[in-house]
Amino acid sequence: MRKLRALWFRLRGLVASQAAATDFNAELESHLQMHIDDNLRSGMSPEQARRQALIQLGGVEQTRQAYRERATLPRLDDILQDARYGLRMMARNPAFAAVAILTLAVGIGVSTTAFSWIDTVLLRPLGGVSDPERLVALESVTPGGEWVPNSYPDYQDFRDHLKMLKGIAVTRPAAFSVGKDDHAERVWGELVSGNYFTVLGVQPELGRMFSSDEYGDKPGAFPVAVISDRYWRSHYAADPNIVGKTIRVNQHELTVVGIAPAEFHGSITAVAFDLWVPYMQQPVLNGVGAWMLRNRQNRNMLGIARLRPGVTMQQATQELAALAGRMAIANADVSQGMSATLLPLSKWPHGPQGLLAGPLRTLMGVCILLLGIVCVNVANLLLARATVREKEFSTRLALGANRRRLVQQVLTESLMITAAGTILGVAATPWLSRLLQALMPPGQLSLTLGTGLHPHVLVFTAGLCVLATLAAGIVPALVSGRADLNTKLSAGGRSGAAGRGRHRLRSALVASEVALALVALVCAALLARSFQQTSRIDPGFDPNHVLLNQFYLTANGYSLEQRKEFCRRLAAEMESTPGVTNVAYSDGVALGFEPSWWEDLRVERYTPSAGENMKIFRNVISPGYLPLLRIPIVEGRNLTEQDDEKDNSPLVMIVNQAFVQRFFAGRDPIGRKVHGWGDWFRIVGVAQDSKYHYLGESSVPYMYVPFRQVFRADMNLAFYVRTQGDPIAVLPQLRAAVRRIDPNVTVFDPIPLREFIGASLYPQRMAATLLAALGALAVLLAGVGLYSVMAWSVAQRTQEIGIRMALGADRASVLSMVVRQGLTLAGVGLAAGIILALAAARGIAAVSITNSAMGKGVQLAGATAANPLIYLAAVIFLSAIAVLASFLPARRAASVDPMQALRSE
Amino acid sequence: MSDKPDVWQGTLALMVLKTLETMGPQHGYGIARRIEQTSGNLLSLNYGTLYPALLKLEQEGAIVSEWGTSDNNRRAKFYRLTRVGRKQLEREARNWEQATAILARFLSPAEEA
Repeated sequence: MRKLRALWFRLRGLVASQAAATDFNAELESHLQMHIDDNLRSGMSPEQARRQALIQLGGVEQTRQAYRERATLPRLDDILQDARYGLRMMARNPAFAAVAILTLAVGIGVSTTAFSWIDTVLLRPLGGVSDPERLVALESVTPGGEWVPNSYPDYQDFRDHLKMLKGIAVTRPAAFSVGKDDHAERVWGELVSGNYFTVLGVQPELGRMFSSDEYGDKPGAFPVAVISDRYWRSHYAADPNIVGKTIRVNQHELTVVGIAPAEFHGSITAVAFDLWVPYMQQPVLNGVGAWMLRNRQNRNMLGIARLRPGVTMQQATQELAALAGRMAIANADVSQGMSATLLPLSKWPHGPQGLLAGPLRTLMGVCILLLGIVCVNVANLLLARATVREKEFSTRLALGANRRRLVQQVLTESLMITAAGTILGVAATPWLSRLLQALMPPGQLSLTLGTGLHPHVLVFTAGLCVLATLAAGIVPALVSGRADLNTKLSAGGRSGAAGRGRHRLRSALVASEVALALVALVCAALLARSFQQTSRIDPGFDPNHVLLNQFYLTANGYSLEQRKEFCRRLAAEMESTPGVTNVAYSDGVALGFEPSWWEDLRVERYTPSAGENMKIFRNVISPGYLPLLRIPIVEGRNLTEQDDEKDNSPLVMIVNQAFVQRFFAGRDPIGRKVHGWGDWFRIVGVAQDSKYHYLGESSVPYMYVPFRQVFRADMNLAFYVRTQGDPIAVLPQLRAAVRRIDPNVTVFDPIPLREFIGASLYPQRMAATLLAALGALAVLLAGVGLYSVMAWSVAQRTQEIGIRMALGADRASVLSMVVRQGLTLAGVGLAAGIILALAAARGIAAVSITNSAMGKGVQLAGATAANPLIYLAAVIFLSAIAVLASFLPARRAASVDPMQALRSE
Repeated sequence: MSDKPDVWQGTLALMVLKTLETMGPQHGYGIARRIEQTSGNLLSLNYGTLYPALLKLEQEGAIVSEWGTSDNNRRAKFYRLTRVGRKQLEREARNWEQATAILARFLSPAEEA
């Protein structure tokens, strides 16, 4: 306490030292006067009295010094002095300071942005839950080893039999329509098991969460809801009386029992949900038949579990796998070969994290690379300056300054530059973050990617700043501290001769910079190339001139029949609209962001091998779907309106070529029978293969079944309109048609199909765009570094060059000498860079976009990792930059007037 | 002067506090003279070293200072003991007595041998 108080006074002393010094001078003066008075009284002469008083005091200056050291903090005082000195140096070389600070700002800004995204998407545990590190994801595993969500009955078995888990909850993200009929609003929320909040350990901000009475499995028994803090504030002005009131969700009244705390956004990272409703309300709210809750194949629940204290994830996983194995045998008809596993939440393949993990990691790597280049650049600039200041340092050493103090000074300057760069970079982060957000796919969910600066991020950035300071400052600082006063002072001011060792150092720095730039460039080029290749892949259908709108009719309280009726009427309305050529609707949208569904099939006269995955992806479509998307029927016929739900209509399906290849060895598919949805379907046609989940995927067996025969309550409804011109132009007609059929149905987010399927390219697009930008930056920075070193070296050699020219060397030979030197440097860097780039490329090639069942093995840059052309191009490009960077100083060197050069010192 | 022992590290503060306790508010010069006299002129004290020590005590809150007028009408800065200072004095005096007592036992001729 006493120490702290004293420290506080000393810190204040740093600021107020002027006033304090005056005060102390007065005190010292009065002290001397009193002493002199006494001495005079004891009979000394005036001179002697003064002399004795001074001797007894021990010197005025010494006393002042001792006093000042106690009044302030001498160490800090030194640092402040260094900082003031540094500022003065920066003001004297504003160009130097600006280049260093700006490049650092760029390096730190992009790294901070990348990290803040990684932090939000991958690192930060769920907010508002207790002990997030004990939470794990529970995934079912298909016979093929892919991860898929769980069914409700499977969940019940897991919940009732597992001992090592403290609790298991399931959730299904869903769109709700909240509010009165005509001004209903779409709200994203989760349908959750009743124990959801208990398992997650979320405490209510107000009211209560679901109580144990609401944990049950009785459909329709729990008309309650919890709303988010955000929604509570924005829609109810934070009125506490809302608890206990009812809100209208999907045309049904639910009682709000509580408000979730502000930090809690639901169970998927980076996505903000606003409403939580017990899953057992699903039949009421969405018209899903209660039998579907009992269907083990209805795998659409994400599972989250909490480990019992003292249980490791491995133990719990073993127990789970054993149980899942028994369940797979007991329910062999639907679950044969299935298993289940636990994952850390950060490995969950659902939601943004699954898609963004790969690109973000790559991005972070390149950002660090870029920061490395920046640091090397700044170190170079500082070194160049250290050379200029050699004489200053030698003089100071000669006058008795200690070396530590010189090192400290250079480090302080370096710190000031990095700190300024960091502040600028952090200031730019929210802006950069928004830029990144603009690259996000057209929003279907609201992402909560923070543009705010989380403490994690600030710690990371502060760490970066310190690292950058050391990286950029340590070499120049040590070099300055090593200054040998003898040689420097006696070298008579010829700075050229002494700089050899230092020149080698700078050359090494530049070579490493070129190496880093090559790595960045190659990585960027690989991803850009793979993006380009992927985006050139023909999706197998024609997405141009198609308007897509997804309806959430269940949210409007539609029954299954009403929904089918709505589709038929809307299709009829739109078909008669001028400019519209085709109309169709389906359950899933190809190449979208939303999950795709599959069905367990049995194929007539086909015996699956043991453990063979018979889960085949499917779409439920209207007859107009394939013609609208211009997917050709290669054999048989298309679906027709006659393939309907009437009892005497046979069940039919269309399969794709890959399906025929796999199950019928490519022969005679028409008329074959396939069993799914509890019935036998007859194959009536074969459609050409197209892309279903990712453009990069290899051919996938796929099937189409008629909307009227298979459409079920939990399916989505995507509505397509093909137009002659701009698809957005028919939007007013679409809205009007919808209003005529039902004024309560809202057209929420219509989008041209072309843009919508861009979502499937999002991870690659993001990685490619960002890396291209960063790669360009890296090359630019390396070029600047190379240029500055060459320019410096030429400036140092002005005299030498002058002598050479005086002795008869011509312009061309001087030019080539300097350029050759630059190229040698670059060559060393390039050689090292190629080795590094090969390693980095292998790392990138191993990054796959997602590990969920769809699009397994689709890679960011799989095919191009070993493309020699890219390496060659990068090398040539960097060499060209190197030639340019050394040519400019070379030209200056060659235009040196020998007389001028010799006289210049 | 060189044959007189210097003021031991850390004891100066104690002497200052004790002086202020006996004499009441006093200026730096007065404190210095008093310490010298009390030591029977056996200590060599550079008066200058007193001021950083006073400053330290003030920073720690053991004393406070105030400008005033000396006996022979000079303006001088007077230091006064605070409650914190009194406690510190008590504590340090006790410690010091203990330490000297222990040392004294070591140094005194062994009685029982």
